Amino acid sequence: MLAYEKKIYLLLGSCCLAMIALGIAIDGPLTSLQGWLRLQTHAARLINDFTVIGGTGGALLNAGLMGLICLLLTRLSGVALSGPTVAATCTILGFSLFGKTPLNALPVVLGVFLASRIAGKPFKSYILMALFGTALGPLVSYLVFETDLVGLPAIGLGLLGGIIAGCALPALAMAMLRMHEGFNLYNMGLTCGFLGLFAAAGLAGTGHNLTTDLVWNAQPALALRLLVPILCILFLIWGTVLDGRKLWRNLLAIFKMSGRLPSDFMATVSPGAALVNAGLLGLAGSVYLTIIGAACNGPVIGGLLTVMGFATFGKHPRNCWPVAVGVIGATLLFGKSLVAPGPVLALLFGTTLAPLAGEFGPLVGMAAGFVHLTLVERSAAWHGGLDLYNNGFAGGLTATLFVAIIQWLRSFKTGGPTTHRP
Amino acid sequence: MENKEYLIHLLAEVSNYILERHPHRMVISLHQEADGMHLCVLDDCKRPDSELEAMSRALNTTARPELADYYGSMGGSDLLGTARLSLIGWQVKHADVSRIDDGTKIDLWLGSERFDASYFNIPTS
Repeated sequence: MLAYEKKIYLLLGSCCLAMIALGIAIDGPLTSLQGWLRLQTHAARLINDFTVIGGTGGALLNAGLMGLICLLLTRLSGVALSGPTVAATCTILGFSLFGKTPLNALPVVLGVFLASRIAGKPFKSYILMALFGTALGPLVSYLVFETDLVGLPAIGLGLLGGIIAGCALPALAMAMLRMHEGFNLYNMGLTCGFLGLFAAAGLAGTGHNLTTDLVWNAQPALALRLLVPILCILFLIWGTVLDGRKLWRNLLAIFKMSGRLPSDFMATVSPGAALVNAGLLGLAGSVYLTIIGAACNGPVIGGLLTVMGFATFGKHPRNCWPVAVGVIGATLLFGKSLVAPGPVLALLFGTTLAPLAGEFGPLVGMAAGFVHLTLVERSAAWHGGLDLYNNGFAGGLTATLFVAIIQWLRSFKTGGPTTHRP
Repeated sequence: MENKEYLIHLLAEVSNYILERHPHRMVISLHQEADGMHLCVLDDCKRPDSELEAMSRALNTTARPELADYYGSMGGSDLLGTARLSLIGWQVKHADVSRIDDGTKIDLWLGSERFDASYFNIPTS
């Protein structure tokens, strides 16, 4: 275990336990537990705000437990708790407020584990795909609770569906990565969306309904609004203590990086500066949401936590702001409300395209953010909301578009193969 | 030759890195030894100590199996943007980066320890 890992385990473990304690404090232990049980048997496709379905207590209990499971899997697999695994933990923590549950996530993890056995590789080689692959949890929930089957056959079908999906993920994830060349941070979002297209087509072909819902908490509890800013302050203090006087130098080093996958800020720069970066980005997001008056509910907190997680693995203010400006520009130009669910989530999760701004400049980042919003509002329907990382799916397609165009432009500017022909 | 795809990715990424400096000459030599392979890459670009250190650091990173198998698969196919030696570093046993008379030499050990790199150099004329 790396020297700083124990401190990161302590920080993230404390965050998970604090969320569980907060949930129980708000709703009481019995109501929280009942809410949590309700979440396990509820549909999980986009967008089901768990703070509505299971209550604030149930949702926070679910998120805290999922975060702890993620940390446990990381520890058991023997990989370092560094940028990518911190990103995975924060992402799982966030998405467990609107879609992920232990019951729908673990079959996918099992599928990836089997894929590692088939490939003859240790599970730790595939751990990131297993953790991020839990985005397909709604597929398991759908097969168990939304088909005509009941009881053991339904559970068996859900388990089988999750395992098969998990088995397919590693092969697809590597292929998808090469499409956008690391310029879409949520590569598993693109992967799960791609797989989700086939799953949705199969389900629709057998007469199943895959229309997406919108369960959105418009008046969340005050505690939810305060949750992320408090976590950000904790990250800022923890990071400052870890880095001491080297903090500013390390932070500037992070800001100079493009953020392209895989940019592990914790390992390549320093864990302290990466945590401070996470705190700064989380606070910036919280301030923006407060200014526009957006509801701070399950999906929005999920977005903030994901941004914070990826601030240790690719995102920083310098490469995020152009994408955010692009999303805001598209929202205003198309006459949409800034506080509507789509634009709010697109702004937070759209920063998956931050590496484009980091590598090619703010103009490309803004253009990418603009295109992203137009696409992401359509793409959830394509996979029937089965892929929780819908922004990662749309972001992957947007990144692929930009990468292809930039590559083509550069090929004739620098002299492509045809100009070198004798 | 075994691991053809792995080698192609490796060769492409290291070539991408070398060619970013527009060398006049680049030599890549692959050696199949009994206990593994060795790759020697030479060019005629003089690099400052800081860059040599950075190259060595990127090629001798701590073992990161979760990154090597997943993101390492991008090596050699991510031709847009700057080349990244760390994608190779996760996948090789170890590497030496040294300054030679006319440029830089990178030795990558892909399992083999028997190769004597000192016998190999870029022709100067």
